[in-house]
Amino acid sequence: MASVSTLTRLRHRYLSGRLVGEVLSKSWIDSAIPVVALLATAAVMAVLIPGVFNVAYLADLSRQLAEFGLVALGLTVVILSGGIDLSVGSMFALCVLAALTGMNVLGLPFGVSLAMALGAGFLCGLLNGVLIGYLRLRAFITTLVTLVIYRAIYDIIFPRLASAIVGNVPDSWLWDWLGFGAVGGVPVSFVIFVVIAAALHLTLSRLRPGWHLRAVGGARKSAYNAGINVKRVVCGAYVASGLLTAVAAFLFSARLGSTGADTGIGMEITVLTAVVLGGVSLGGGRGSVGNAIVGAILVLILTNGLIRLGSPGSVNQLLIGLILVLAVLFDAKWVKNRGKILSKVYVSPTWLELPPRAAPDAGAFALNDRLGASELIGLGAVEGPEDVVLDGGDNLYTGTRHGTIVRFLAPDYARHEVFARIGGHPLGLAFAPDGDLYTCVGGMGVYKVSPDGVVAKVTDETNRSWFSVINDARLRLPDDLDIAPDGRIFFSEATIRYEMADWVVDALEGRGNGRLICFDPRTGRTRTVLKGLIFPNGIAMCRDGQSLLFAETWACRISRYFFDGPRKGTVEVVVADLPGYPDNINRGSDGTYWVALLGLRTPTFDLAMRKPGFRRRMARRLAADEWLFPNVNRGCVVRIAEDGTVREVLWDMAGENHPSITSTCEHKGWLYLGGVSNNRIGRVRLEGADDTWTVAGERRGDGR
Amino acid sequence: MSFLHRLFGRDGEDGARVPAMDGVFKPNTALDTADRIVPLPGIDDLAVADGTLLATAGDALYRIEAEARTVQPVRRFEGALTMVAAAPGGRIAVGIEGRGVALGTHDGDWHPLDIPAEDRGAVAAGAFRGADELVLAIGSTAHPRSEWKRDLMSRGASGRVLACRLADGRTQVLAAGLGHAHGIAFAGDRIVVAESWRHRLVALPGGAPVLDDLPAYPARLAPASDGGFWLALFAPRRQITEFVLREDDYRREMMATIPAEAWIGPDFGDGRGLTEPLQSGSVRQMGIMKPWAPSRSYGLVVRLDRDLLPLATFHSRADGGAHGITAVAELGGRLFAASRGSGALLALDVGRPA
Repeated sequence: MASVSTLTRLRHRYLSGRLVGEVLSKSWIDSAIPVVALLATAAVMAVLIPGVFNVAYLADLSRQLAEFGLVALGLTVVILSGGIDLSVGSMFALCVLAALTGMNVLGLPFGVSLAMALGAGFLCGLLNGVLIGYLRLRAFITTLVTLVIYRAIYDIIFPRLASAIVGNVPDSWLWDWLGFGAVGGVPVSFVIFVVIAAALHLTLSRLRPGWHLRAVGGARKSAYNAGINVKRVVCGAYVASGLLTAVAAFLFSARLGSTGADTGIGMEITVLTAVVLGGVSLGGGRGSVGNAIVGAILVLILTNGLIRLGSPGSVNQLLIGLILVLAVLFDAKWVKNRGKILSKVYVSPTWLELPPRAAPDAGAFALNDRLGASELIGLGAVEGPEDVVLDGGDNLYTGTRHGTIVRFLAPDYARHEVFARIGGHPLGLAFAPDGDLYTCVGGMGVYKVSPDGVVAKVTDETNRSWFSVINDARLRLPDDLDIAPDGRIFFSEATIRYEMADWVVDALEGRGNGRLICFDPRTGRTRTVLKGLIFPNGIAMCRDGQSLLFAETWACRISRYFFDGPRKGTVEVVVADLPGYPDNINRGSDGTYWVALLGLRTPTFDLAMRKPGFRRRMARRLAADEWLFPNVNRGCVVRIAEDGTVREVLWDMAGENHPSITSTCEHKGWLYLGGVSNNRIGRVRLEGADDTWTVAGERRGDGR
Repeated sequence: MSFLHRLFGRDGEDGARVPAMDGVFKPNTALDTADRIVPLPGIDDLAVADGTLLATAGDALYRIEAEARTVQPVRRFEGALTMVAAAPGGRIAVGIEGRGVALGTHDGDWHPLDIPAEDRGAVAAGAFRGADELVLAIGSTAHPRSEWKRDLMSRGASGRVLACRLADGRTQVLAAGLGHAHGIAFAGDRIVVAESWRHRLVALPGGAPVLDDLPAYPARLAPASDGGFWLALFAPRRQITEFVLREDDYRREMMATIPAEAWIGPDFGDGRGLTEPLQSGSVRQMGIMKPWAPSRSYGLVVRLDRDLLPLATFHSRADGGAHGITAVAELGGRLFAASRGSGALLALDVGRPA
């Protein structure tokens, strides 16, 4: 039995499947799949055709890629805008004709010919753009029609100029250099392609026109509502496609110096295959220059390889068509189901065995109902008072899920006012000696509020871990904080894998997803000091000024971390067998600490924590509301000494007023209670407690 | 196929699907607003004997005067009572856990009825057919009545239906292999049996389902004055229970190491203890328990027509207080319901059918 659980534990520590979900959650996964497909295709070709990847082949490939890739980029721009351009092949042919007419037939200078080609592309693209963008015709049918029209124009003009094109050879070194020259061994056309691709990438990913384009393709209506000129953006996308096609056509003309009746025929299908295969989503808004290039290389390697293998052209067309269908199918299914797959595999429970629990209703934990008769403050006026804290004037502060810090005014707390608007749900609260109120804000970071209500950010990121797949630099769920005597702020981040709204899912994982972080105001730097903590939650400075207590909620334990002094850097467990899940820790009078218990351990949940497979299947098969959960419908507060001995326990048995207590604050003989899922604050009289004791007073040294 | 279902967690025999409370089962608060006649902790079964209401609770049989709201003990027995049935003419039968069935009258002349030894632990329901035949629903031959959770979690299918001729003491097994036979009613010449763990009503002879895929575990049946039936359902089906029933490893260890009151699964009432499991949808939010929370207990009574089709339902939802309805009885235009979860007898005015 022991060996079985050891095996289970090791398997879940090292092969938990956590990375699968994390990798799937990255946005680059959309591009990673085509890259893998490209590498696989290249490998297969290398095996089938020995010695295929030599220098000559690569040079040839790069010339083809320059032309083919530019057309693919044009189509990518159009697809990103939410449309499609089937006329690229015919446009290509017309632009080739324009270029050759300029160079060969009319003998015009290089620059004028280039302008002719670009002009042809511009006019063709503009026609598409006006029809689709401004006249709101369907992209598919419009470009299908222009495909036919442009091709017809080409077929009318080309026979009349064919002999003139073949008969004249232009005398332009630039023309020849463009077609056959190289820069440092790299074909000129490829260099041009790289420059254009880089510029386009910059535009699409970093500049306003690119963002507008993606916005229009992703959600046309939202883009319109956001003030984007949708018509102009759509029209611009087709014009860009036309111009890019024209550049490709010019390079093609320079390389071949002539054209044929079949120039550009079937190009739209090949280019479309490349773009979709590369990962540009036909739905619009998703895709990049990188996607288009990967897809273009993939299709070129494939078609070249098939030609080298001697397969007939019609078979190649058939294959390309099949691949296009498969790619479109994959694209549709992937876009639709990616979130679904992710939600199924992201939750990755691990093995967690809790020590035998202290009997929940015996000894120090004997049941009572001292919290049942609490005085209620702000019933219905606050939602989600995770932490409560009082100032020198006895006013009570708490955060709410509406993103505010609310102040209840002493002495009766009947009146309340919004003290500060933060924007996120303030969790842990603590006063600094200078009167600033520091708070951990879920999803945002650590903020401070001055006594006159001015909000300022303290920190919202820490150092990035080297081997973490998900970005753990940004703070996701800072939870509680306390301030060391020298001004350093220590705060806990409960989990790096879930956002504020999904914190309960972390309970199902039971892994050390959390950490302890320190912000040093002297250097302004934020550093992670302890990692791998199991939902670290409450933080309270010890009275020696060089250590702090922190609670690990799902592990049901409280530990002490020494950040200074002779034991600097060490951690010792103070209480290991709490009968419930500790939340915030705060100082109490008499040298004690208050620990709020969020909920109680139940035998069935403890058993589930030792069965990761059970929890994983539960997460996959059942709706979140049906998941097993610790019993958080009871209220319990524990008072411990610094060595961890339990001094006193207060219960709310019915759980009507104070289920899942997340924090406490002792102040002048009263104990104030907060709960993250509650709509009230409570306070109970502490019999025999010092009526003058306050946390701030003790810190100043006058409260003892 | 079932392997594939298991692999993908799909619907079917191995899925964790439970039917939604919809259509006729659309929730209301009829049981919460019902008249609480008397508190009676542990109340379990009800019977009507010549115009008087009888109830069992613990090891005692009680007579209840609904108008006066009083409870009078009739007799205590040597074990926990598991059912009560009454015949016209004053004859009463009670089921006693571990001892089987005792027959008697109000006056106190009680004697045991001889039934097979394995059927004596969990006589879950009984009904007289005429004055001389007693039909018994045996919940399980493997586990006593008080260990019904173990029977469920063992995927128990050892329920039986017996017919006992009182004149000569002959006992005949009418059906076996039932998933906890829990209620008996007569529809013409057919016997209708509530089969708890398979969430359905079946008709004997034959054993064909007549009402299937119930959203809760059926308990006792009672005849209605209009020729139809009343069905008490004692606990809700939940996805987590269906899921645990398919997780053999977890379930085995749970049964071996955890006391039954802390198990995942249905119960009569949401206990106020510290060890009961909780589902995340049942967490109190902003001081409110959601009515649709996946609670372990629920209150549900269904009115069936002559063909056993549901006509109306009476509910006490997750936030309600009349859970665990184990038995119902109609008397004088009122429907009495035993709420074991809250330990009280409830009454609903159902009126004379038009």
